[in-house]
Amino acid sequence: MTIYVLSVVLAALFLLIVLELVRRQKLKEQYSLLWILFSVTLLIVSFNVHFIEWISDRLGVKYAPAILFLFGLLFCFAIILHLTIVITRLSSQVLRLTQELTILKEREAPRGQNN
Amino acid sequence: MKSTKAPRVLVIIPAYNEENSIAAVIHDIHRHVPSADIVVINDGSRDLTEQYAVRAGARVLTLPYNVGIGGGMQTGYIYAKRMDYDIAIQMDADGQHPAEELPKLISKAVSYDLVIGSRYLETTSFRSSVMRRIGMVFFSGLVSLVTGQRFTDTTSGFRAAGRKVIELYADYYPIDYPEVESIVYLKRKGCQIAEVSTEMRLRQAGKSSITPLKSAYYMIKVTLAVLMSAIRYDRTAVSKP
Repeated sequence: MTIYVLSVVLAALFLLIVLELVRRQKLKEQYSLLWILFSVTLLIVSFNVHFIEWISDRLGVKYAPAILFLFGLLFCFAIILHLTIVITRLSSQVLRLTQELTILKEREAPRGQNN
Repeated sequence: MKSTKAPRVLVIIPAYNEENSIAAVIHDIHRHVPSADIVVINDGSRDLTEQYAVRAGARVLTLPYNVGIGGGMQTGYIYAKRMDYDIAIQMDADGQHPAEELPKLISKAVSYDLVIGSRYLETTSFRSSVMRRIGMVFFSGLVSLVTGQRFTDTTSGFRAAGRKVIELYADYYPIDYPEVESIVYLKRKGCQIAEVSTEMRLRQAGKSSITPLKSAYYMIKVTLAVLMSAIRYDRTAVSKP
């Protein structure tokens, strides 16, 4: 089995897993899009051995499948970056909720010593 | 403020495990500015800060977990905005900001958007370590460069904010090490900022949380934040409540 066949199998399997997670609502559509894009790209690229060899030739890469790794790695970076953006948004939202809750709590509480 | 009524003043005191000094700080404010309301932002303290503050006669907002100084301070500003205060003053819970300087800040806050109590504007009795001094000079230089206004004490947490700043800070306030960046943010929004010379004491209780590693993070984070706010046109991206 060549690296290309392995790559096709893994990409297809991965795509199926992602779709299944979305079907079961374990993964939101908005977050699955990047993963679907990733597996489809990997699938197409793995099918086109000539394309890979052409690129590695142009880039002067001796071992053509290394291009696959490069694609995979870049995609991982993109997804991690996306995740940290999501975390940033989530943490601002959690902070705002905490602040609102704290203020509401004080207003609800019976004023003892205050005023 | 054209109204003849005296401005409604709220003193915001963020506190995290400050049971040893909080009551004294509150009494100090009551003595010097009896008309001011006091709100203690109890940032998830695990000691008796809340009880001591309530007993001393302050309102207390208790956050369910520790959100850090920026998030706590912003809670105070959101509260000030909702309760329609004209002036919000931020003050440390450890006793380093003397309440007798409050009238100075308040009277100037009527004609400026933000007034900063500075340790270095004139020679005061305040002394600090060499490293600290270097950091202060660096940030003063950076902020002066970016804003075009000279500031002597950019890390001072002794400040009085008018209505405009209360609203701006309720919208956006830096999460950690907020002092320096929050000045640049206001200047970008066209606020008028003034410094007044104030005395400051050494902390009455508690100890500084600064370690060498934290100082390095502090310098880098704040420098990045200042440069970023300088090239940011409008910071309204943060979702409004």
